[in-house]
Amino acid sequence: MNKLKLNYTSLSFLPILVCIPLGYQLINNIHFGGFKLFQEFLISAFNPKIDNEIIITVIKRLNETILIGFFSWLVSIIFGAIFGIISSNIFYKIFNIPNFFYRIIRFFLTIIRSIHEVVWGILLMQIYGINFSIGIIAICIPYIAVNSKVFAEQLENIDYRSFESINQINAPKFSSLLTLIWNPIINTFKNFGLYRLECSIRSTVILGLFGIGGIGTSIYLSFQTLNFRDLWTYLWSLAILIILSGLIFKKIKFNTTNKILSIFFIAVFFLTILFSFSYFLYFIFNSNFENFNSVSSQFNSSSDLGLFNFLKLILETIILSLLSTGIAISLPPLVIGIFNNNTSKIFIKIFAFLLRLIPTPVILLTLLFFNNPSVSLAALTLGLHNAGITSKLLFTNLESQDKRNYIAMKSLGISKKTSWLLGLFSQQAKSYLAYCAYRSDIIVRETAIVGVIGSVGLGWQLQESLSSFAWQEVTIVLIAYSSIAIVGELINGKIKNSLT
Amino acid sequence: MNNTVLELKNISFKYKNDLILNKINLKINSGEKIALLGKSGSGKTTLISVLNGTIKPTQGEVKLFNKNFEELDRKQKSKITTIWQDLRLIEDLSAEQNVNCGLLAENNFYFAFKNLLNISSFKKAHKYMKLCRLHNSIYNKKIRELSGGQKQRVAIARSLIQGSNILFADEPFNNLDPKLITTIKNLMLDRFDKNNIKKSPKTALVALHRLDFLNDFDKVIGIRDGKIFFNIKKNNLKKIHLDKIY
Ligand SMILES: Nc1ncnc2c1ncn2[C@@H]1O[C@H](COP(=O)(O)OP(=O)(O)O)[C@@H](O)[C@H]1O
Ligand SMILES: [Mg+2]
Repeated sequence: MNKLKLNYTSLSFLPILVCIPLGYQLINNIHFGGFKLFQEFLISAFNPKIDNEIIITVIKRLNETILIGFFSWLVSIIFGAIFGIISSNIFYKIFNIPNFFYRIIRFFLTIIRSIHEVVWGILLMQIYGINFSIGIIAICIPYIAVNSKVFAEQLENIDYRSFESINQINAPKFSSLLTLIWNPIINTFKNFGLYRLECSIRSTVILGLFGIGGIGTSIYLSFQTLNFRDLWTYLWSLAILIILSGLIFKKIKFNTTNKILSIFFIAVFFLTILFSFSYFLYFIFNSNFENFNSVSSQFNSSSDLGLFNFLKLILETIILSLLSTGIAISLPPLVIGIFNNNTSKIFIKIFAFLLRLIPTPVILLTLLFFNNPSVSLAALTLGLHNAGITSKLLFTNLESQDKRNYIAMKSLGISKKTSWLLGLFSQQAKSYLAYCAYRSDIIVRETAIVGVIGSVGLGWQLQESLSSFAWQEVTIVLIAYSSIAIVGELINGKIKNSLT
Repeated sequence: MNNTVLELKNISFKYKNDLILNKINLKINSGEKIALLGKSGSGKTTLISVLNGTIKPTQGEVKLFNKNFEELDRKQKSKITTIWQDLRLIEDLSAEQNVNCGLLAENNFYFAFKNLLNISSFKKAHKYMKLCRLHNSIYNKKIRELSGGQKQRVAIARSLIQGSNILFADEPFNNLDPKLITTIKNLMLDRFDKNNIKKSPKTALVALHRLDFLNDFDKVIGIRDGKIFFNIKKNNLKKIHLDKIY
């Protein structure tokens, strides 16, 4: 047998080793109490409830979800572009602003980005009470920071030489800036816009599970009351919404040569900015701060979260991130490689779609039918959900790849699996790993969601501290969270650099 | 009329440890047409980048209208235009939008905005593109869809439309066929039917390799290894001069 060589291909499979500790803990916690319920859950998928009453509910709930999802998308993409511009090199070069400010604003955005929208949501709900706008604001805060990073990265790619030539024309600075950033901004919008809209809708659903409203709330309630047929009606309608929004977005061509359309987009752009500002002011001055006042008086309350416990929670969160990242990286190539035929492919795709569709808390609750809550169970949930996402990317890339090597190897009599591995996957491995590195940034943040539901790590502590109004603890947890996310991002940055 | 528009005093430019420009002194007077000769790698492009203010010299002073570059306002700096050797057009914009970029300095932000939305007037741009013998079928094509020679002429049109007094052109005849070269050369050096074009740059410095064009210039500068070897009237140019730099 050959020695195991460390290359991109083997590195894509190696993380599956996380299954050993994971499996150990899961097996120790197994129970079959929920088997009947699970059966019912599965059957209901093919037999969702359809009657007048539920359809009206679905439409109402979907409306709320669309409203929150769409507005948070619109606001976050527009402000993301604006923050992207003011956190990009080119802005500082054109206006001759010291780089010092560039670092400050980037650091500020990194911190905001490091905290998941669910955490923002829970935090804001605690202060302002439950309402719609909380959902939009909670999504917008981290999304603006995430989008600004995407925009800024694209703006860094502007050719330095075209900057110099526009600069030499000595136009008014805003004219130069706009001329240089125009195409990168529009292309980013075209390439990432749809994806971000999908993200917004998913986030709205997740926030719904925590009570913000929309279809997420219905999903959560129907699960809690074990109305699986209702649950699947909601899930399938959500699937239709996501697919439809993709189709509609593809139909809209952002064509800058069409004058009327251009003017329409510009109008939307400025109206959104205007509306957001006025709304922001309204929100600040008109919300009742009763909760917050009663809370701030307790801000000085001594913390009963011991140092030891706290370190344990941090460790748990890190382990949770590592285990789920392992699954998200290795499971897709393993499954696709082993079941490498057309029928299996369809099943894998459907399964991956479901893993993406079903919000992580619901996946976790489903898994609780068979297992007691543990770090491993939370990791499995998060890992599976993200494997659904990485496998979609892998499928897309594999299908668009040149298959000649693969066919040649098969015709030489090399087994199908080996040909797939060496002829197809090995060429993808590097870019796949680079994407996974990016994905793991997100996984670290998402530990908050499963943490709250699955009672592990910092997410759980956050919920506890919030409900007892222990603001000192909340602050500590948030700092811990963003530190983990920032350190993770730094490590990943290094990994990504070595992969590209 | 011997008034100096641009002056280099003891200019040196270092890139890491390489001395790329070595103690250059140079005066450019208003109305002069100067040919800049030198082998490839001799420092022509670097010299032009110092002259137009794009790179700061490691040592020495650059004076435009007797003032340091930093003291000049935007309008004064826009008296200079450059045709870059590597063109430096914006690949994702159309040819006419790129030419309109030359008008950014004399217009406000709204013009830049309209230009990008394709709703500004392209009349002037088309006029200059026609002068550069660009066919109207390429006006709204993206730069990345054009041939080398077409790109070259778009860059020239973008530069000429600025109506600047001082032109720096870095090997502007690359990719052009002989007949076009004559046309473009006349456009740049103002040996042209004056009714057709409002303002041609009065002062020009052109880096080039073709010795048969020297008749169109008043002065010739020879540069080698970042040093000026000669800076003489064109009529005084002898073969020994050229032997020194080639
Ligand atoms: N960005 C750069 N990095 C390193 N060396 C450079 C750079 N630009 C120019 N040089 C060097 O400077 C010298 C002069 O280059 P350049 O001014 O482009 O010459 P020319 O335009 O006459 O061909 C060359 O030796 C070249 O290698
Ligand atoms: Mg050169």
